[in-house]
Amino acid sequence: MSDTQHKWWHRWLRTPAELREMGVVGINMRNARYLLPNNPRSLYRLVDDKLQTKALAEQHGLEIPQTYGVIRTPRHIARIDELLSGYESFVIKPTRGSGGKGVLVIDGRKDGHYLKPSGAVVTREELRHHATNILAGLFSLGGNRDAALVEYRVRPAELMTRISYQGAPDIRVVMLHGYPVMAMLRAATRESDGRANLHQGALGIGIDLKTGITTRAVHHGRTVTRHPDTDLNLIGIQLPGWDRIMEMAVICQEMTGLGYLGADLMVDQQQGPMMIEVNARPGLAIQMANGVGLMKRLEPVLKRHAQYPNEGMKEKLAFSRTKLSK
Amino acid sequence: MTAKSKLATCVVLLIALGVGLATYKTRLLGVPFWKGEDVHEWQIEAKVSFFASKPDVHAELALPNVADPKQIGGSGPVGYQYFVEDRQGQSTAVWSAKDRKGPQSLYLWVRVDDDEAGNVGPVASQEAEPDMEFLTGTSAVAAKAVIERVTAKSSDPDALVVAIFSEINAPEPSQEITLLKRRYDKEYRESGSVMLGIQLIKMAGFPARVAHALWLREVRGVQDPLLMVEYHDGYYWKIRDPADPRKIPDPELVHVWNRGGGPLLEVTGGDNSKVVFSVSRERIPQSQLTDLQDSPLWVSTILGLPQAERAVFRYLVLIPLGAFVVVLLRNLVGLPTLGTFMPVLIALALLEIPLVRGLVMFSVLVAVGLWFRFLLSRLNLLVVPRVAACVVIVTLLMILMSVISYRLGFSGVVQITLFPMIILAWTIERMSIIWEEEGKHNALVQVGGSLVVSVAAFLFMSIGQIQYWAFYFPELLLVMLAGILLMGRYTGYRLTELVRFKNFEPADK
Repeated sequence: MSDTQHKWWHRWLRTPAELREMGVVGINMRNARYLLPNNPRSLYRLVDDKLQTKALAEQHGLEIPQTYGVIRTPRHIARIDELLSGYESFVIKPTRGSGGKGVLVIDGRKDGHYLKPSGAVVTREELRHHATNILAGLFSLGGNRDAALVEYRVRPAELMTRISYQGAPDIRVVMLHGYPVMAMLRAATRESDGRANLHQGALGIGIDLKTGITTRAVHHGRTVTRHPDTDLNLIGIQLPGWDRIMEMAVICQEMTGLGYLGADLMVDQQQGPMMIEVNARPGLAIQMANGVGLMKRLEPVLKRHAQYPNEGMKEKLAFSRTKLSK
Repeated sequence: MTAKSKLATCVVLLIALGVGLATYKTRLLGVPFWKGEDVHEWQIEAKVSFFASKPDVHAELALPNVADPKQIGGSGPVGYQYFVEDRQGQSTAVWSAKDRKGPQSLYLWVRVDDDEAGNVGPVASQEAEPDMEFLTGTSAVAAKAVIERVTAKSSDPDALVVAIFSEINAPEPSQEITLLKRRYDKEYRESGSVMLGIQLIKMAGFPARVAHALWLREVRGVQDPLLMVEYHDGYYWKIRDPADPRKIPDPELVHVWNRGGGPLLEVTGGDNSKVVFSVSRERIPQSQLTDLQDSPLWVSTILGLPQAERAVFRYLVLIPLGAFVVVLLRNLVGLPTLGTFMPVLIALALLEIPLVRGLVMFSVLVAVGLWFRFLLSRLNLLVVPRVAACVVIVTLLMILMSVISYRLGFSGVVQITLFPMIILAWTIERMSIIWEEEGKHNALVQVGGSLVVSVAAFLFMSIGQIQYWAFYFPELLLVMLAGILLMGRYTGYRLTELVRFKNFEPADK
């Protein structure tokens, strides 16, 4: 490529022409070209409500974390201890939350209180208050009333726990018309405090679609090769159950009908890959993690889809894993 | 039709319509397209309203004396005969009509330049015959006692007037004044105090009468006529505000509508008659304004409305401008904001307060509100009560800030009530959630972004030329709408994305 050499302005910015050449997709383009034309408004409710998504996933034979209970009213909150009594670890999240807002992970108990994975104590009072906030719509889109979902806490496969500093890493697969176009692993750091949000300092690790092997990693937009906290080498790791992960991503598209989406999955120690949620507005950081502009993957898919609109899962996966692999 | 050509058609149509109307107005009606220099003319509109109780109605409104009869224009609904009558130097607008029923509204405008408007000063006059109407009984005794008391203290007519009204306005008036006031309030209602004062001045031996005035101030809504007292000191007729007798009225702030003690408005055949004024700096010449008002609805638009109703639009037409700036800065530049249109509301508030003070106020309110919000979070409140508590706290903070800044000698802080308080409370709430969920960095970035957008919107909205176009050429908003539609299809990079992706390293090198 012609612009391989470093220019003085690269310290501050990249010109639009440079970004276009690298195929980087901006928010405006994502919305206008991929999101709005392919995601009818009416389908959003399927993915904005996690209960509906889970019900759909169950019908389509996707592995999902077991639902322990749904808290819908203050009466349920009053009896929350009863509901949780049988479970040592669990996750409480708003059914209509977005971007990981309001997700509380409990990993154990101590003296009648709850423990976060980091070891921090959550009192029963605090837990109830958190559930009340979820019900009041504090974390939901548009601040509408919401329900709280209590479900199985995924126990990440051993390999995955090493990549992530406290908190389970998740896998994001971006799909267009049912073709996986890009994938990344999001791993928590000490700085991100167990969260997998890249702009809070989590790691974004690019994954080769063909093999499921990690290719490169970014931290705060900069390329790294080792985990900043554990110093573990992040490149060249084979993710377990990759074939199933790719299949599950395609099923996520089939069951929701959304043209452009991000499927979020986790790999459980015993149960293997599990679908966590479907995101109808996946972000753009994935291109940084992979070092590939999304346009370079999305445009071939648009062409392919126009040419063969009725391809099945097998053909789609074959296309993605051969043509869209580095 | 594809979405693209639909959009192109819309944009072309909107621009053609907007530009076409504006061109028509400038070319054929001669409405100036540029704002020009600052105007030195006031447009005063009087609105006479009454309820027709008999079929034949007749209304007379005393008029100010102007140099040129073209400076005055009136109108009434269809069926009214309107003319201006000259009665020994005092002009009067007359409306009359037959077969009237229900509420009636009559309009009259006067255009005066700054010199003519500042007519509150003394007028030299020879005649000085005190016309006495005598009080009887206890009232007469009381009035005499008051006059003796004030004349003993004051040597000249000015001091006398001040002393009389100070007595009347005193928080705890003397027994005599209380007695007289009761009688005058019964007879003259709201104008009781003024009429009493005039009577007392007359009894002290100086001619006095009532005058009607108004404030030269652009305010939203209308103002009631201001009752003034006019008295003769032997050489001049002078005017004072009975509510503030010590201050000589400022000619830049007060315009006397009519002197001479005659009635302001007389209506026969109607009840509940009333006159209100609205005052504004009109930027286009009267002849063009009249032409516009005679034009069809879609040409005259808001300029076809009576002035009082038009005044509201001075602010309303600015809101789309703010929305335009928000679109520009969010979709083209990529600044993050808390809530989509919160910056527009902040910008509108800034239009009323000096910028720096407004920003300081906003920052202090949000900072202290945030601190209280964190205290509140320890109480484990539900969301809606917590936001409501925030509203109360924000309100109390505003009161506190007003009081403190008043004590420190800043005035005009009271206007901050225009700050959108509910929006502020929600801002605090959302900010505190982002603070907890995404860290203080993100919270500050988003609040900072909102402030930058607000200030940009404010600066855009306060450009005189932009305000002029929005108000006198509201059809140009269609052109702006076309611009917003186009920006809605902008798929290029946002400015902030150029920075966000600066470390992008292609893997295939």
